Amino acid sequence: MTDLLTLENTAIVMDSTCDPPDGWFDQPGLYLVPLKVHFGDQMFRDGVDMTYKEFFAKLRGSDILPTTSQPTAGEFLATYQAARERYEHVFSLHISGEMSGTVRAAQQAAEEIDNVHVYDLRTVTSALALGAERLRAHLADGCTLDAAKAYVERYRDESRVLIHAATLEYLRRGGRIGLAASFVGGVFDIKPLIHVVDGTMTGYAKVRGQKKAFAAMRRYLDEHSRPDDHIWFCTIDADTDDEPQQIRELIQSCRPNAHFVWQGHVAAVVGTHIGPGTAAFAMIVE
Amino acid sequence: MIVRAAAVSVIQSALSAVEAERQLINDLNVYPVPDGDTGTNMALTVRAVVEELEQSDVTDIPSVAAAVTKGSLMGARGNSGVILSQIVRGICDVWGQANSLDTAVFKQAVMEGQHAAYRAVKEPVEGTMLTVIREMATAAQAVPDGLGLEHLLAAVEEAGRVAVENTTAQLPALQKAGVVDAGGYGLLVLFRGLAAGIHDLVRGGRIAAGARLAARAAVGPVAAPMPPERRVVVEQPSELSEYRYCTSLLLTGTAIDREALEAFLAPLGDSALVVGDERTVKIHVHVNDPGVVLSEAVRHGAIGDVEINDMHAQTRERDERLAMPTTSTPEIGEGGSVVVAVVAGAGNQQLFRDLGCHAVVDGGQSMNPSAAQLLDAVEALGAEEVVILPNNGNVILTAEQAAGMSPLHIAVVPSRSIPSGLAAMVAFDPGEDAVGNARLMEDAIADVRCGEVTHAVRDSELDGVEVKKGQAMGIVDGKLVAAADDIEGAFGGVLAEFVRGGADYVTVLTALNGSPGTTRERLAEIAARLAPDAEVSFHEGGQPLYPILASAE
Repeated sequence: MTDLLTLENTAIVMDSTCDPPDGWFDQPGLYLVPLKVHFGDQMFRDGVDMTYKEFFAKLRGSDILPTTSQPTAGEFLATYQAARERYEHVFSLHISGEMSGTVRAAQQAAEEIDNVHVYDLRTVTSALALGAERLRAHLADGCTLDAAKAYVERYRDESRVLIHAATLEYLRRGGRIGLAASFVGGVFDIKPLIHVVDGTMTGYAKVRGQKKAFAAMRRYLDEHSRPDDHIWFCTIDADTDDEPQQIRELIQSCRPNAHFVWQGHVAAVVGTHIGPGTAAFAMIVE
Repeated sequence: MIVRAAAVSVIQSALSAVEAERQLINDLNVYPVPDGDTGTNMALTVRAVVEELEQSDVTDIPSVAAAVTKGSLMGARGNSGVILSQIVRGICDVWGQANSLDTAVFKQAVMEGQHAAYRAVKEPVEGTMLTVIREMATAAQAVPDGLGLEHLLAAVEEAGRVAVENTTAQLPALQKAGVVDAGGYGLLVLFRGLAAGIHDLVRGGRIAAGARLAARAAVGPVAAPMPPERRVVVEQPSELSEYRYCTSLLLTGTAIDREALEAFLAPLGDSALVVGDERTVKIHVHVNDPGVVLSEAVRHGAIGDVEINDMHAQTRERDERLAMPTTSTPEIGEGGSVVVAVVAGAGNQQLFRDLGCHAVVDGGQSMNPSAAQLLDAVEALGAEEVVILPNNGNVILTAEQAAGMSPLHIAVVPSRSIPSGLAAMVAFDPGEDAVGNARLMEDAIADVRCGEVTHAVRDSELDGVEVKKGQAMGIVDGKLVAAADDIEGAFGGVLAEFVRGGADYVTVLTALNGSPGTTRERLAEIAARLAPDAEVSFHEGGQPLYPILASAE
């Protein structure tokens, strides 16, 4: 038993709603437990059997809306066992329990095995992978178990995500709309901005046009950070053009101490619910 | 004959009231089993009474009362119907014996109705129609005998209304579903129908010679029917009942032992009711094996009117029905507000509805609605908090008049054009009250500039621009900015004016039917040329007189 947690002795298990950049899971110490996507009778593992580009091509060409299902506790347990063979500690970080039952399956599995720390990060998409990336930064320096847990809890409570959704249609069709139900989307060219409050996607603003969207993003930044804050942020792309790049420029122009971590790609499960043409960013002030 | 006709007309009035709210009562039905048939069962029970009376030829009160009792027992369906039949029986027993009807008799009758209902139910539960009839009967006792029947009816109705409202808090199943008790509400609806029927009789002077109705001229309607204000929504699948089959039948014999039947049924299931007399008995019970009930019943007499309903299937049907949106009209949220907009053009009206506008009143330069028309539209929504979007400078005053005439909270947002009203709709938040929304919407339209293209009806000079009859005029915020030979030229003038003032986002509502040669593609080319930095969004508006309405934000 070592005193300090490091990248060498600590693994991180994520579910496939964490939407990291391509190849992210190839790094040692990172484990993926995929959710499943069903197009009619066809089933595939999110983030494993299909690239995000292939997924969106299929989604745009499909009349039927895919459905998604969460991993089983058994699948989590198998992953935890594999991780524990090589690592002393496992952090298992997951999509908000308000949006998916995934974290409950993870918690069930964790009861069967030692040193697996399961967290409901109360958020979704690349905000999850960003949390793991930041935890890895702390692990790289070495930190105590308590410090690692405290960091994850702080990330859970203080990280932010703002999604500029192309339409609310996918949220509505998938029943994943939460409080955003009162938001009109896909009508009159409205593209809503959605944030996550209390683990649920909630409307932040209704805007028409890119300029207003960026003004609302700027306002959101101002509400949640100060100009000289150190911000770690990622941009998120769901089959969009150059909007993530513009978001990156916006944040860096008004927050000189902002650190761009990477750009995540929305995989199938989140993509099913927010739809193509969506851009977003996630951030934490540290 | 006259007594019977009077009874038929009063009960027919009750039946109509229940029929009118049958679906709502069905939807409210969550206890004891959410099988969604309370309204139907009550309506069928009351209808059986009307049919029994119509095919009988009795004339005196005791015989009419007996016929009503018999009809309700024979026709009783479901839990609520059987309990209702016992209330009816108690009331008719007293009425028949008294051989008259006045305040004193009615008080006693409704009290006996209550007793009969409680007697029929082995384990009475509060928060059901039993509670409602008890509260009604109790309230009746407080009315002095010397007062007319209409006072009594009003007091009983009010007590019933309060009792129904209270059921939600009394029964956890109702609280969980956020509804009042279906049977209790059905009883109230039925009573309102009865009271209205009696009231009509009194006013119409068709008082039966044998029935001494207290024939005072009533001051006002006894009970104004309330519009159904509840909409039931099922969010999660309802739990299925332990016992699956609602089983009811009519048993006729010579000396039927009701207590023995009750004792037999009790361990088989729940909601058991065995009512009637030694010759005619109605049985109602929820069980998993209806066959056992039938086999036992035939040992006591002859069975008829056997009805077996699969309550699991009924529960699923009710869930499905209530999960489906019944109308495209947006729901009125708790504490929120609704929007009434004056809009011309089918495309524009659809846009307003898509954005969550609850009612659209036809408008336009030559067909401005009156304050009364606006009020009609507002009141038809049944909401307390209302925002009106006049969307026309000439309608703002009318809208303000309408607001002044109504006791509702009405906020008028002074939108002067349809594009401006659309910008207001984008800001609409259904969860905000009228004043809150008015603030949001006024903020949203403060910086919106509006333009239009129309044809000059005469030669004139306006704002320093000369226009000839038939020419296209481009107008921005009421000011003539361009005159051109075609609407494309005038549209260009509007866009140029927009760009001068700064325009990030331009909305164009077209009605190009009367303008052959002009297409949306042509207009888009013009926009790309004259306003290259703006995002431009086109919609088919269909408004009269204006081939183009536009706004810039």
